[in-house]
Amino acid sequence: MGANNMRDIKRRIKSITSTEHITNAMKLVSSAKLRKAKRTFEKTREYFHYVTESIEEIFNNTSEVPEQYLEGNREIKTTAYIIITSCRGLCGSFNINVIKEAQKEIDKDWEEPVIIAVGTKGKEYFERRGYKIQSEYISPPENISFVETHDISKPIIDMYDSGQIDEVVLIYTSFVSGIEQRVRTVTLLPFSIERDPEIEPLGKQVEYEPSAAAVFNYLVPKYVEIMIYGAIVESATCEHAARRIAMENATDNARDMLDNLTLYYNRARQAAITNELSEIVGGAEALKG
Amino acid sequence: MAKSVTLEVVTPSKLFYKGEIELVIVRTLMGDEGFMANHAWACKLLDTGELWIKEAGQKEYKIAAIAGGYIDVKDDIIIFTDAAEWPYEIDLDRAKSEKERAEEWLRVRTPENTDNLEVAKAKLAIAKSLNRMQVKGGGSIQRK
Repeated sequence: MGANNMRDIKRRIKSITSTEHITNAMKLVSSAKLRKAKRTFEKTREYFHYVTESIEEIFNNTSEVPEQYLEGNREIKTTAYIIITSCRGLCGSFNINVIKEAQKEIDKDWEEPVIIAVGTKGKEYFERRGYKIQSEYISPPENISFVETHDISKPIIDMYDSGQIDEVVLIYTSFVSGIEQRVRTVTLLPFSIERDPEIEPLGKQVEYEPSAAAVFNYLVPKYVEIMIYGAIVESATCEHAARRIAMENATDNARDMLDNLTLYYNRARQAAITNELSEIVGGAEALKG
Repeated sequence: MAKSVTLEVVTPSKLFYKGEIELVIVRTLMGDEGFMANHAWACKLLDTGELWIKEAGQKEYKIAAIAGGYIDVKDDIIIFTDAAEWPYEIDLDRAKSEKERAEEWLRVRTPENTDNLEVAKAKLAIAKSLNRMQVKGGGSIQRK
């Protein structure tokens, strides 16, 4: 048994060592990418509020706000789901969490959903299950620019305007911390806002140009665009964080396995030596006799 | 010296500019318009165009290219735009080739460019490249 068994163990040690090298390298790469993504993400977060604030301000200050983007202006039949996943695997349960949540939302719906997939993983999943993918965006999200997200958001807004869809739901992963990410579902349109009686109307008259309605109609789609952009940036950050954790676990597991295997290997080697020794001693004894 | 006011120029991915200014000139949908401290509160949509900033105490204007957005004038002035560039960030050759490509695309009539959305996109691309080229060259008009 000895030599054979030892060779097997040795082979496994070798293969696991190389796996460990790979996962460890991937972990380092992900940490670096995470740092970069996090910086972009934090910057986007900072300026998010300007647009929402302006929307609320107009809403609270003028009576002539157009209804089409507001909640309750029409019956909700068809819903569009924007599902943001990653393009690459090896990031633990990152994609499956988003997909599960999306599936749950879609199952609640009677009408056939309109699916907009960002990232290949979500696209593949829903395509396999026979859903129609309205549009897809599959280049890696970490270096997407705001202008590029136009290609995603513009058709959505057009479809909403023309009445093909009545609701836009965004499903993405939100970044809580380096070790915790949570799937979030946000309804982008219709825009839910309430006339808050507590907010004092602004003391001064505001000039809107060309008109309050035009500004409002510009801001709401802009809000959708910014939310989609923000969600993609945030998801990319989460993807790297998730991958870093997954790779860290994989590296740890590989090291544990290596420890065990080394132990077995040493034991097997010792057993083989003992075996040989006792054979030699036995042989010598036999010769003497 | 005229009174100064805080200006912030924000794009979705970064804070493009922040500082004390005397005068800022932007292109609204109605035409070029300048804003100074104590301007009446306003919220106006912007066209693709040049952004001129006269910083407090400075004689010269700073110029940048911006791609639409809106200006929110309150006690401070905030400009929110999709993209903004200083002249040194603009690649003239790229702007030129982009403009040519869009023009070429508009000239060659194919079934797909009867699509209004695509035509609008191409026209916007031309406007943006033209704007970039003008900003690179110091602006379409002299301001002193």
